[in-house]
Amino acid sequence: MKVELYNYIRAAQKMNRREMLKGTAAVGALAMMPKTGMADGHGNVRAEILKIPGVGAGSPTDSDWQKVGEMCLGATKGNVAEGEFEGVELTFMGLNNQNLHNFLFRGFLKPWEAYTGAKINWIDLAQADYNARLQQSIATGTVDFDIIEMGAPFEGDVLGKGLASEMPDWVKEQIDMDDYVDYLKAPVGTWDGKTYRVSIDGDCHTFAYRKDYFGPDGIGGAEVPTTWQEINQVSKDLVGKEDPLTGLPAHGYLDPLKGWGGFGFYFLENRASAYAKHPNSPAWLFEPDTMKPMVNNPAWVQAIQDVMDLIDAGAYPTDQINADPGTTAFQQFLAGTGSMLMWWGDVGSSARTSDTSVVGDVVGFGVNPASDRVYNAQAGAWEDTRNEAPNMAYIGWGVYVMATVEGDEKKKKAAWSAAAHLGGKDLSLWASAYPSGFQPYRNSHFQFEEWEEAGYDRAYVEDYLGSNADSYNHPNAAIEPRIPGIFQYYSVAEDELAKGYAGQYGSAQETADAIAAAWEEITDQIGRDSQIAVYKASLGL
Amino acid sequence: MSTEGDLLHTVTADNISDQRRRLGKAMVWGSAGLCAALAIWQMMYETGRVASGFETWRPILYAYVLWAFALCAAQVIVNGEKGKRTLFVLPAALFVISLVVFPLLFALYISFTDWNLASPNGPQPNGWDNMVQMWNDGFYWNALKNMVYYVLAVSVEYVIAFGLALLLNAQIRARKFFRVVFLLPLMLSPVAVSWMIGKSMLEVRFGPISRLIRELGFEPSFFGNPEIARFMIMAMDAWTFIPFMMIMLLAGLQALPSEVIEASKVDGASGWQSFKEVIFPLMLPVSVTAVVIRIIFKLKLADVIINVTSGGPGGATDSVTSFIFREYRDRSNVGYGTLLAMVYLVLIVIFVTLLLKLVSRWMERPA
Repeated sequence: MKVELYNYIRAAQKMNRREMLKGTAAVGALAMMPKTGMADGHGNVRAEILKIPGVGAGSPTDSDWQKVGEMCLGATKGNVAEGEFEGVELTFMGLNNQNLHNFLFRGFLKPWEAYTGAKINWIDLAQADYNARLQQSIATGTVDFDIIEMGAPFEGDVLGKGLASEMPDWVKEQIDMDDYVDYLKAPVGTWDGKTYRVSIDGDCHTFAYRKDYFGPDGIGGAEVPTTWQEINQVSKDLVGKEDPLTGLPAHGYLDPLKGWGGFGFYFLENRASAYAKHPNSPAWLFEPDTMKPMVNNPAWVQAIQDVMDLIDAGAYPTDQINADPGTTAFQQFLAGTGSMLMWWGDVGSSARTSDTSVVGDVVGFGVNPASDRVYNAQAGAWEDTRNEAPNMAYIGWGVYVMATVEGDEKKKKAAWSAAAHLGGKDLSLWASAYPSGFQPYRNSHFQFEEWEEAGYDRAYVEDYLGSNADSYNHPNAAIEPRIPGIFQYYSVAEDELAKGYAGQYGSAQETADAIAAAWEEITDQIGRDSQIAVYKASLGL
Repeated sequence: MSTEGDLLHTVTADNISDQRRRLGKAMVWGSAGLCAALAIWQMMYETGRVASGFETWRPILYAYVLWAFALCAAQVIVNGEKGKRTLFVLPAALFVISLVVFPLLFALYISFTDWNLASPNGPQPNGWDNMVQMWNDGFYWNALKNMVYYVLAVSVEYVIAFGLALLLNAQIRARKFFRVVFLLPLMLSPVAVSWMIGKSMLEVRFGPISRLIRELGFEPSFFGNPEIARFMIMAMDAWTFIPFMMIMLLAGLQALPSEVIEASKVDGASGWQSFKEVIFPLMLPVSVTAVVIRIIFKLKLADVIINVTSGGPGGATDSVTSFIFREYRDRSNVGYGTLLAMVYLVLIVIFVTLLLKLVSRWMERPA
């Protein structure tokens, strides 16, 4: 150390020579330590936060969220000085589903507010109101929020219209974006090569099944089905048999046949992705050059036909025509009706922790089933090769900073710092392990020993998390287009599917043609050329 | 003000100078001109004909408010005391015009545009395209057809409500208690009813009603068949709103002159004859009012459907309002959704006008 530096530090820190030497000795010792020693220190935070409040110690409360937020402030302190954002006010728009999302963010950000001096105002929205509120804000030019919690499907609406602020490089470093699972890396979260999204969640549909249906004496067969062809066969074969757990009629795969504000279409996609998502192209819903819907090609028609076959075979529970995805997961599968289901990851944690679940001990997980054959849309022909294409339904929540902060550097840094805090590497581990509304989405979230140390059952966690990890990093993952109005397409498809399932169309092809016609209308209404441009950008083409 | 003519309601005789009159008129026309000029300027700015303008239409709103104040103030300045009398009504009239007429005109404009909230171009007039789309829209006509069924169900609700009203009007034990109990469903939100009954009690697997039916040896299915699903929606809606008709009819029954009913008994009329010849005719005006109001309620039916069936199976339970809700909210299709709503409004106005015309002869109590 240079003398002038030594004198400066002594003066600035008001320390004597003895204390100074103690400090330099400590720094020297630290510098000589191997890197694992550093990682251990970091790892301690992860282990410590996972103890708050502890597995089996009841649901976390606001004080727990604040504790976690406080303990994870290290990364923020590296980039922001104490009190640096004094006087800055930010508005955050997010959800209030099941008292999660914004409720957690408030707790997480309270220590951040205390440290930085910024103040956050909150706009809480119910999930059902979210789309309408966002669309209206955009359409009427009344974006009254600086930070938004938003799903990637809306990126076309927001990023495509230049309404968001580009992520600064220091944020990328702070949140360690390389740790993201593969499918959350670009092009997700980016637009025209620029990065906008701090991921706080990952989404994919995984396969859940009842272990007691399958095995040497299982009524569903010796092996768990792995293709949609096998699933349909098993579902038909189970008609007339008795559920080993409840004694009620046994059922196979549970397709939701009722719409769910657009979200129900994801469940037809689960079947269709295996048939329609060919590894030779990222496009499987629209043709990228024309926006011509692919939803009425033979692959999609096969998926619709599969559902119609099971309706004709009487393979579904009574009133399935009135069952939306929420019903199939929480009122049917978890309550012991049916043996196979596709859903988001939280059905895995709910199976073990929900009071209404009776299947916690007999549930197993896998990736989205495959198909024996795949349709090659470019060649216009079926190929008899096995195809697997996990459906990354919704792509997860992210935090975005709006362009409203541009022009005020202090405010912009504050907004990005808040977003980075919420998407921090350690904080996100806690969020993926406890009720938060978010799934694991970083490679570091899949270190099973961390979960085990926190009190989770190793085999269960490996099975449940493994299915998520395999889906996220799948080379042929089916990723939805992030184009404006994507939920309009899904919503109108639900209406047409409902008619098809109720027998009002002559065939699966007719149903698919009706969907395609409705999609063409929406594309024309929104603007075909702009949709083509945005679609290509979202696919990274 | 003249000191001649009708002086009954005059307190003071105003002597208003020409200068004062001119000031009042200048205030009105000046503020109106400012408002119009700003609106035209902003319109030109938005259509790209001039380079500068306001970021939003808010300044035009302020100009409109200024004009409204000027108009009110000018009444007193120009007309003196007579103007003060005008002020009792004018602000309310302006308020109604602002909150009803303007939005209605705006909605009319929107309904002839292709406004989709996801579209980068905003609302673009598209002539009669929305009307043509509506004409070819099977979902809309299906919903209108369902509305006919739903409205017809009011007749059954009326019969039940009348029966209950007669029961609660009779000298029965714990009459007040029953009156309150029968009113309870009306106090529940239809959203609560749809969750408590449609999605809980009628839930196929664990709903108590389903279990009872299963115990009786049948397989329950409340929303799988189109006819049964439509009936269940009607039943839930009826359960909520029959008390409304009942309370109106009960009030009517209690207002009936007892002498007439007693006279019919003296004349030897049986209970049925007394009802058929005396009570029912006397109750016609109340009945018609109750039925018409109930029909108007029914035409807005949406919440139960949205929560329980989302219009399914295959559109069997869809109402016009629930369909518009999906079109507007789930699909952000503002232009088309507004047109559907405007057409429905016109249909309702025509239907209710005809209905009132048709039943007007029964609205007067027989002499």
